[in-house]
Amino acid sequence: MRLAVPRMGNLALIIRDLAVRFDLDYVETPPFSENTVRIGAALAPEFACLPLKAVLGNFVEVVENGADTLVTSGGHGPCRFGYYSEIQRRILEREGVEFRMLVLEPITTSLRAFYNSLRELIPREKASLPALFRELKQALDKMVAFDVLDKRAMALRGLEVVPGAVDAALAEARGMMIGAFTAKEIREARCEAEARLRGVRVDTSRSHLKIGIVGEIFVVLEPFFNFDIERWLGRRGAVVERATSISDRIYPRGRHPVFGYDEDSVAAAARPFLNHKIGGDGLLSVGATVIYARRGFDAVVHLLPFTCMPEVIAKGILGRVSSESGLPVLSLSIDEQTGRAGVETRLEALMDLAWSNRRAKERSAEMGVVR
Amino acid sequence: MRVGIPRAMLYHHYGECWLEFMETLGVEVFVSDYTTSDILTRGTVHADNENCLPVKVFSGHMFELKDRVDLALVPRVVSEEYGTWACPKFLGLPDLARSLDPDLPDVLAPVMDLGDRRCLWVKDWYRTARALGASRLSAAAAVTGLLENLARHRLQSRAHVDTGDMKIGVAGHLYNVHDPRVSLGLLDRIRAMDATPLTVDHVLRSRARYHANTLSRKIFWSFESRLAGTVLNWSRSRSVAGILFVTSFACGPGSMVGALLEDQLGREGSVPLMTITLDEHAAEAGLVTRLEAFIDMLRYSGRADTRVGGAAVRAGGGPR
Repeated sequence: MRLAVPRMGNLALIIRDLAVRFDLDYVETPPFSENTVRIGAALAPEFACLPLKAVLGNFVEVVENGADTLVTSGGHGPCRFGYYSEIQRRILEREGVEFRMLVLEPITTSLRAFYNSLRELIPREKASLPALFRELKQALDKMVAFDVLDKRAMALRGLEVVPGAVDAALAEARGMMIGAFTAKEIREARCEAEARLRGVRVDTSRSHLKIGIVGEIFVVLEPFFNFDIERWLGRRGAVVERATSISDRIYPRGRHPVFGYDEDSVAAAARPFLNHKIGGDGLLSVGATVIYARRGFDAVVHLLPFTCMPEVIAKGILGRVSSESGLPVLSLSIDEQTGRAGVETRLEALMDLAWSNRRAKERSAEMGVVR
Repeated sequence: MRVGIPRAMLYHHYGECWLEFMETLGVEVFVSDYTTSDILTRGTVHADNENCLPVKVFSGHMFELKDRVDLALVPRVVSEEYGTWACPKFLGLPDLARSLDPDLPDVLAPVMDLGDRRCLWVKDWYRTARALGASRLSAAAAVTGLLENLARHRLQSRAHVDTGDMKIGVAGHLYNVHDPRVSLGLLDRIRAMDATPLTVDHVLRSRARYHANTLSRKIFWSFESRLAGTVLNWSRSRSVAGILFVTSFACGPGSMVGALLEDQLGREGSVPLMTITLDEHAAEAGLVTRLEAFIDMLRYSGRADTRVGGAAVRAGGGPR
């Protein structure tokens, strides 16, 4: 059984960790490329959203590389993501690809289904129940550490004195984390890695924009599809924060250790605009935008795959959030034909708008002082 | 006080129940007129461009209510069957309606979660009734009436009238199929071609549920599950000569269920299936041509089969 897992942001790092922990035979999924998307878009239904097409292309590539068991996640709606596995399985079977699909049901659907599918991956001989629980907990802690490092790097990148210093430090910090496996090692490595990032020289006096990124998890996390927006904004001197991360998504009890606001407070923030969860990351997108507006951010970028159901609703509502709070929100819908130049032009316009808002605010503050 | 209901989306499912609820309360109700090209254009202009066609139609109807009513009723339908969800568009519909334009009437959004326990959502309707100025007694009576109507509605299936020798299954959202402007008069066109159109509400929910349960992974959208079950029922019982899968541009669940049905019917060997995608630019000529070709093909293959003496079943998913 040679496993493969689709790519999404830091997921690849944690899969590598799990493979070592449970001695799994797995094939590294190739990074997304033009070719991946072309394969996926050719096979997938026309109106399916980008993640389905991209992951489908990824599956085809990884089966060519020797994988025979494709691990993916299930779900119970209302986002289309929960039905991906079935559609992808049928398409691949139609294409004559030989594989087995293993669907990990989320715990919220059924604990038993989750446990059974997990046990197919990690049989009892490899890990007893307590060991399984312990190892998964440690892997989750490591996941949180990776995401926190990302978050710190995003906050520093716009202020670095030497260009590229933060990225170099982030790579080193990740290297420190990768070797940590026990709880103690992870704790220590995380301290060390965060200290490494803190050691980067920054210029805090530089005036900068604060920009939040919200949206659908796949396009937000996967640099190939969002044109590496975090680094792009960082290079232009913006301090960036991202509301979505994998560990927030899978952390039990709706806690968001990376974003810092739990599910309930996000829902409370969104309530005046959106009063019900709408699946996917829709409620988080609206709630996080409201939170960013309260925290005095200068702009928010909302990323969504074209025709994503929850995010299209969120997009309509974000227009109202933006006009009521005065926070510029740019919704970028991304599909297999989105071009870098178009996205960058719009981001530049957003930054110009944010700067002029900032200057107008400063001017009116000065006038207030004169009066 | 006048309460408006947009004649769009789930009005085509539950409109009668909602109207009766309002009438029991003694509130004056205004239902927006049938969809016209003007309404559709207004919706397309004001709603976000990525929305699916029915949401654009809904937005157009919301603007119809402007200045005519004091409040708009847009129930938040969370689910229609146990263990399923409505499409995310329905979950956020009232909030979307509020974000359309600040001048629109305020939105009343009682929750309708038919798959969940009543105690969790029925009080929302009671509160709505009280907010409309009903006494406790009449509010309670209206809510009881609503529940009874909904229960009756669930068990009903629409009776069909034969208008031709051949039956065509039209599998699509009721709010697309039953809206003559949106579907470009699809049902009437089929009738004019001497065929009988059957829609999803012609099949009992229980039958649809039975067939939907045979799928290898449960469909978690309420209506799509019913739709898939209905199509499988038609195809397995051969009660229709061909199936038209009618979806709208950018319909999320439709994209999934369309692919699923094509694959499933292809595996089982079924009656021919054709997909029609509707959007605000859909033109009549294109629809009519495809419809005529489809029906002619069904007629021709039917005759050819009787000539060679049997086998009305053909393998493969049929033309797209």
